[in-house]
Amino acid sequence: MASGPSGSASAELTTPTPGGPAIQARPVSSAPAVSPIWGFIGRRILLGILVLFLVSIVVFLATQGLGDPARAILGRSATPASLAALRAQLHLDRPLIVQYLTWVGGLVHGDLGTSLAAQEPVATLIKDKVVNSAFLVLIAGGISIPLSIAIGSYAALRRDKAFDVAMSLITLVFAALPEFVVGVLLVVLFATTVLHVLPAVTLIPPGAGPWDDLQGLVLPVLTLVLAVTPYVARIMRASMIEVLESDYVEMARLKGLPERVVIIRHALPNALGPTFQVIALNLAYLAGGIIVIEYVFNYGGIGSGLRDGVFNHDIPVVQALAMLIAGLYIVLNLLADVATILVTPKLRTRL
Amino acid sequence: MSVYNPLATNEPPLVQPRKPSGVLRNALTLGRTRVGLALLVLVAGVAVFGPLFAPHGPQDYLGLLPNKGPAPGALFGTDHIGQDVWSRFLDGGREILFLALASTILGLAIGIAIGLFAAYTKGATDDVLMRGMDVILAFPSIMLALVVIATLGPSYWLIILAVGLTNIPRAARVTRAAAQPIVERDFVGAAEAIGVPRWKILFGEILPNVLSPLMVEGSLRLTYSIGLIAAIAFLGFTPNPNGADWGVMIQENYIALSVQPWGVVLPVLAIALLTMATGMIGDGIARAAAGIDRLRSAE
Amino acid sequence: MDERRTLEHMHLRGTITRRQMLIGMGMLAAGASMAAVLAACGTTGASNTGGTPKRGGNFRLGVTGGGAKDMMDGQNIITKPDQARLVTAYETLLSYDENYKLGTDGLAESATQDAPDQWTVRLKQGIEWHDGKTLNADDVIYSFKRMLDKSNGLFGAAGLSTIDPNQITKMDDRTVRFKLKQADSTIGEQLGQYYNGIVPAGYKRYNAADPSTQAQVGTGPYKLKSFTPGQQSVHERNPNYWRSGQPYFDTVTIIDFSDPAAQVNALLGGQVDAITDVPFAQVDAVKAHAGLSVLESPGGGWLPLCMAIDIPPFDNNDVRQAFRYIVDRQAFVNQVLSGHGRVANDLYAPFDACYASDLPQRKQDLDKAKSLLAKAGMSGATFDLHTTDGAAGMVDSANIFAQQAKAAGITVNVHNDPNYYGDQYLKLGFSVDFWGTRSYLPQVGNGSIPTAPYNETHWPPKDSNYIALYNQALAETDPNKRCQLVHSMQQLEYDQGGYIIPFFNDLVDGYSTKVSGFQPSKGTLNLDSFGHGFRTIWFG
Repeated sequence: MASGPSGSASAELTTPTPGGPAIQARPVSSAPAVSPIWGFIGRRILLGILVLFLVSIVVFLATQGLGDPARAILGRSATPASLAALRAQLHLDRPLIVQYLTWVGGLVHGDLGTSLAAQEPVATLIKDKVVNSAFLVLIAGGISIPLSIAIGSYAALRRDKAFDVAMSLITLVFAALPEFVVGVLLVVLFATTVLHVLPAVTLIPPGAGPWDDLQGLVLPVLTLVLAVTPYVARIMRASMIEVLESDYVEMARLKGLPERVVIIRHALPNALGPTFQVIALNLAYLAGGIIVIEYVFNYGGIGSGLRDGVFNHDIPVVQALAMLIAGLYIVLNLLADVATILVTPKLRTRL
Repeated sequence: MSVYNPLATNEPPLVQPRKPSGVLRNALTLGRTRVGLALLVLVAGVAVFGPLFAPHGPQDYLGLLPNKGPAPGALFGTDHIGQDVWSRFLDGGREILFLALASTILGLAIGIAIGLFAAYTKGATDDVLMRGMDVILAFPSIMLALVVIATLGPSYWLIILAVGLTNIPRAARVTRAAAQPIVERDFVGAAEAIGVPRWKILFGEILPNVLSPLMVEGSLRLTYSIGLIAAIAFLGFTPNPNGADWGVMIQENYIALSVQPWGVVLPVLAIALLTMATGMIGDGIARAAAGIDRLRSAE
Repeated sequence: MDERRTLEHMHLRGTITRRQMLIGMGMLAAGASMAAVLAACGTTGASNTGGTPKRGGNFRLGVTGGGAKDMMDGQNIITKPDQARLVTAYETLLSYDENYKLGTDGLAESATQDAPDQWTVRLKQGIEWHDGKTLNADDVIYSFKRMLDKSNGLFGAAGLSTIDPNQITKMDDRTVRFKLKQADSTIGEQLGQYYNGIVPAGYKRYNAADPSTQAQVGTGPYKLKSFTPGQQSVHERNPNYWRSGQPYFDTVTIIDFSDPAAQVNALLGGQVDAITDVPFAQVDAVKAHAGLSVLESPGGGWLPLCMAIDIPPFDNNDVRQAFRYIVDRQAFVNQVLSGHGRVANDLYAPFDACYASDLPQRKQDLDKAKSLLAKAGMSGATFDLHTTDGAAGMVDSANIFAQQAKAAGITVNVHNDPNYYGDQYLKLGFSVDFWGTRSYLPQVGNGSIPTAPYNETHWPPKDSNYIALYNQALAETDPNKRCQLVHSMQQLEYDQGGYIIPFFNDLVDGYSTKVSGFQPSKGTLNLDSFGHGFRTIWFG
């Protein structure tokens, strides 16, 4: 659901200070503007790495630390011989710390482990899936990002007028609906029951790419856009309102500048920061949303890969994909924060 | 920016303590709250009381073939193995409602406690707690739930735990943000001076003053939890494979969607209306709270 | 029987040789087929015999059940994609026709049982391998030795186990003599099982790491061009194929699908030309779709609920028989198969001439079930039933049995295990499995004796004479006497067996009307044995 589809209610790493932009403001320093930025970036990167490291611990514990994965994989009545063999293969006989380090060491070197279901390296298995999901996310993002920025900004500019009120209700409804509900309803509406104009599943012939079935991409993309845009549009609106009510914009108005100049010269640059945040949020939520949406449309990406991995108790696949998606989240947030700081003159001076 | 509460309008945070009852009363004057409440009563009513009215058991064999449309004895036709869609629909809401409520309450309880504690304690403890929250927030919620299910398989307590876990950081953040200004207030300092124990301050002095944003957050959490629980069932992970559950119904009848839509349409509409309802109610409360703020700051 | 007279008649007229007649007789007695007329089977979907076959085109088949473990081996399969790939390139000595009648439509000109413990096979002339060499006796000897070598773990090993691997003799370039360890009349039937393909001397299974196995040389209508396990394989027309005129397609592409919904959608969307096992929920949708047709073949396949007779509480025959009385069989046909099948009687091999159809059809009898359970002290007990998504209907069967069991006062907990066919398979007390059409004695060899590869019920009981009867039946040359022995064996299974067999399921496949040549078939394989290895079907 556009919880930020299973996404974070906030995508950045620091807790938001109420009333201000969701960036940690630093006290003004007397040093030149360049080095504080690098310092800031450096700190952010370190923070990101720390969180990634903690995330890896959580993923590891959730999969290998809880219960006995060997038993889970082999099911009930696994024989002692087969359990022993699988445990050796997964290095489960060693202490937890060693297992963890082995796994992380592998990840760092690009060794994502071997899929238990397919008996193939995980990397080979997910190669095409990553491409497919990336394509889907980029197309959906290409639509939802400008859309959410446009809707949010316009609603803020025309606050409490017809458009804003209408959008407020529409975005509320769609933000509340779970993504797969949106997807299934679209399928019922356009593919199977009410109308029959679009296919209910995406069919990517083996060896081909998702661009070979453009018709089959319409509904998944539409679902993703509908799942993510309303949520982010609301955030954009809130940010835009804040910018429009901010001191410096008031100042510009008091100076007697025409409204258009106020908006373009003073409001917009400061709205860029939140905009970047919105872009990052969009992409992050999309990355989360594909997990369920790919299943609805039988789309062969990392979302359905994760789902199948969980269904098959294929621990290495689940671990690899979880780290991939989490890593993506963290990187996107990092980029958003850094870009925001760089782009917002006001904040830069406060570094 | 109210990133932590995106379903609300952008208003400055609450500084004045307010009566929750006042907020609620105001909320009910709004159209959207009323519609939401009506929908909630309708869907929750079906979920809770539905089983009493089901004409058949959820797994009864009716002598009919599977995936057939409405027929005598089967108001909305049969499902993928010939069971009565209508009866299964009436039975299918309880499980989702129960799981969603349980995980919401769990997440709220722990999240609020953490948020209060972090806001009050400040300093290093605050940082550590919030870092911990960041870690949980670094996953899409559904993924966290799936990762946990990967090893242990789906069971009721595990699902409640996993979904509750995803609720914790969000509730914590909201609580912390709302509590921070309160912590600075005189009456808190006074209580400390008297020697009131910390937990009493947290839950006796601070908590009552942050109830409004928490009510909003609560309805938000409930909305997300319902969606998440339904999604997990839809993906095929359920502790009760043959039981009636709206999310599972959508999944098992999806393949027959083109010939027998009711097995999917009924549960999916129910989930849609339910989440819309809780979302509207939350939005109504948020507006009411913000509205009171606007009034007060205008005085 | 009509067929016998027909065979004699044909012999007299010189249409068939004496040997062929003997084989024909032997096969009849061994239960090759009933004289059922196709039309009477009520099959749907036109058997497309649209005019003269035309050359050309790329035929695309969609199959489920495969994955990264897909194999290409002329003598082994696990899943349906494996079956489809096998038949493109590998053929058997004898073969079954649409009426499940064994005949010399394979690589062999004749196969005779010249003594109770001896069989002689003579190959047809001039059949070439994909690499141009001529099929000869050395290849046949290698093929059988490979199958009989237990360390290879091949599907057909059990059924051929009476052949002495050290006494396979080359009589001449085209003739091989098999000496058996004991008398066995069913070898002929084994020679027709699709998984006992003839491979060239020195043959090895496809292995991506070993370039010498990439060619997968066979005698079949298509040569392997490329193979990506879990995704797809491409097969090219064999221009040198020994049946002149065939095959008709330029290429055949076999595509793996991970689930039936995707597979059906591919058919509906025109991305594939045929699919196996249309989910019963979708049959009507496929039939109604313009340009698509459904091939429904009468049922010989079965999804048994298997009770291991040596694992408590199923070691008590009262419990086993009680469970058999719990089952409402027609409900199973309706709920699991959407009506595409017919009620069964806990016995298998319905197309076998010796099938014990005189044994009374069991019906649901809850009172009897309850009293038997009470006698065994298991009233109100709880049981575990394991199943998986191995074939359509396996999971539903388990759930429906659990539901029906409530009426008998017992609780059945269903466990859907994704790794079902791993280590716990064949060690469970109560589980679901699936089988295709087969004659009785070969099926016994596959699943009902201790040396069988898939004996889920751990049959027979220790004190039973079932195995003795089996060996006698194998050795018996008189068809009538053999039927009596089979009847006794089935009587034992009827009274004490561990299988609950509620129905025989039809094979329901979907295909585009652009394809002609499909006929409903009683055989084991889908799509009329995949159009007999994709050679009796064409676009047009």
